[in-house]
Amino acid sequence: MNLAPVDYCILAVYFAFVLGIGWKLRRKVHTSGDFLLSGRAVPVWITSLAFLAANLGAQELVGMSASGAKYGIMTAHFYWVGAVPAMLFVGVFMMPFYYGSRARSVPEYLKLRFDEKTRAFNALTFAVMTIFSSGISMYALGLLLELVLGWSFTASVLCSAAIVLAYTFLGGLTSAIYNEVLQFFLIVIGFAPLSIMAVAKAGGWSGMASRIPAVMTHSWKYIGSASQNPMGIEIFGLVAGLGFVLSFGYWCTDFLVVQRAMAAESMSAARRTPLLAAIPKMLMPFIVIVPGIAALALSQMGTGYALPMKNGGPDYDQVLTTLMAQFYPAGMLGVGLTALMASFMSGMAGNVTAFNTVFTFDIYQSYINRHAPDRHYLTVGRITTIAGVALSIATAYLAQHYNNIMDLLQLVFGFVNAPLFATFLLGMFWKRTTGHGAFVGLISGTVAAALTHGLTVAEGKGGWIAGLHQFPSVMAQNFWIAIFAWTSCFVITVLVSVVTQPRAEKELGGLVYGLTTLPSDEGVVWYLRPVPVALAIGALAVLLNIWFA
Amino acid sequence: MLDLRIPSGFFFSLLGLILLAMRIFAPGTHAALSGTDVNLYCGIFMLAFGVFLLWLSRRAARGRR
Repeated sequence: MNLAPVDYCILAVYFAFVLGIGWKLRRKVHTSGDFLLSGRAVPVWITSLAFLAANLGAQELVGMSASGAKYGIMTAHFYWVGAVPAMLFVGVFMMPFYYGSRARSVPEYLKLRFDEKTRAFNALTFAVMTIFSSGISMYALGLLLELVLGWSFTASVLCSAAIVLAYTFLGGLTSAIYNEVLQFFLIVIGFAPLSIMAVAKAGGWSGMASRIPAVMTHSWKYIGSASQNPMGIEIFGLVAGLGFVLSFGYWCTDFLVVQRAMAAESMSAARRTPLLAAIPKMLMPFIVIVPGIAALALSQMGTGYALPMKNGGPDYDQVLTTLMAQFYPAGMLGVGLTALMASFMSGMAGNVTAFNTVFTFDIYQSYINRHAPDRHYLTVGRITTIAGVALSIATAYLAQHYNNIMDLLQLVFGFVNAPLFATFLLGMFWKRTTGHGAFVGLISGTVAAALTHGLTVAEGKGGWIAGLHQFPSVMAQNFWIAIFAWTSCFVITVLVSVVTQPRAEKELGGLVYGLTTLPSDEGVVWYLRPVPVALAIGALAVLLNIWFA
Repeated sequence: MLDLRIPSGFFFSLLGLILLAMRIFAPGTHAALSGTDVNLYCGIFMLAFGVFLLWLSRRAARGRR
């Protein structure tokens, strides 16, 4: 793919604007709260789009279009069954406790609700995980730009990291959030025309459906048994594993996204943040997945488009960039490429700003230096931002040299994350849950996840203890690992809680359902009340599921 | 606090103008698989979106006064 001078010009304009926003916001940063928490003063439409964009990294864009070409519209389950219900749940049920407890982070909520060891476990694993995921995504971007544009890996990694560092260092979380909104608009405007043109060229939805196997254009019809669909999953694994454990675990407990809602200007705005974000989220498959399906149809039509190949098989990760090269002329190609860079930056800034907050408040202030003046924590926050970016770059290079270590680390973090939602669910909705119960439950869930992986095999992965069961796909294996981890954490937490001493009820106000005065929305118009809004959005998600069933 | 609609509005207006300038000064620019005048339509849309954001911001500022 060759870029024209105008494409570089568009990229430069984008860099100038994101840096300009960081520069403009630098004067608003006076305290550690301003830098790390946005001073809880961001309007709801901004937090909503940032909530979405922080998750919309380059890997998501590239990966979802790749899955579209590989698995078809079933990939949309990650949105319509996975993300949307979880986003509605966190807005309606969990945000009153996150925001109302005045905790500055998710690990801090665990400290307030349970104890120090549960917070430490969550803070440490989260901090390491954000650095690795930011580094891995940086590695993926560097690799893609090297492959598609011939850019040097080092130049793309260092240049994009330097820009993210500059604007997050200057304006802190507010700058990251504001830029995420600009990046979100750019991603939609940069990729929507590609989707429209690719689908139109492939003859619309019916044209595509007539050229590719029926399983690619139905999301539910072939889910009855794992052998019927290319994902190798069945309905229980999908709904319980993806729809419940993994999605709720991510959207409801991952500080990276929850932090955006916690930066909102009021409780009402914090609750509406994930709800409003769910509306564009449910439409994202039309921008990120459908082009992949269209690419597959186009490759069957003799239009001149062929799926990119690698080692004798299709290289689905390049579907998005090859479509851009075929459909966008110089000018719009620059916009599309800038959108890809924007998605990478929004994902990376999300990781960096979540990392610096958790490190400063939950590790440094909690265990290293407890009683310093606020100015000191502001400095620590800034230094951590630099360190976070530097560590991400180091991880990107590590990934370049030791790809297998990265796979292993991602797997290990999957084990840690899978049971988390059970801990939060019990912690928020059962006042009897104890700190010991939560901690032992989390460890047992992690062990259960590792055991499930060690005892089952899928596509040659896992089975390092014994091959007791064979899954048809790694995806099915991941869903079942999550189900076992969650169930184990839930059961063990309950059992240990029953035999250990709970905290006094008066200490749990604002932290647990039933002991917290929930904000009343009487007399407020329906579209500003969380429950009716969530019901309306949920109904839309159901309609989408039915339409594409 | 900075009104995000202002920098976003200017950003998309500028992108729209760049694409429209491409359309005027290099009218024959086409991609391999697309016969559509992509730069023209996307340029118009981005310019309109940018101006819309700026209009929203101006309206809000007038409301505050």
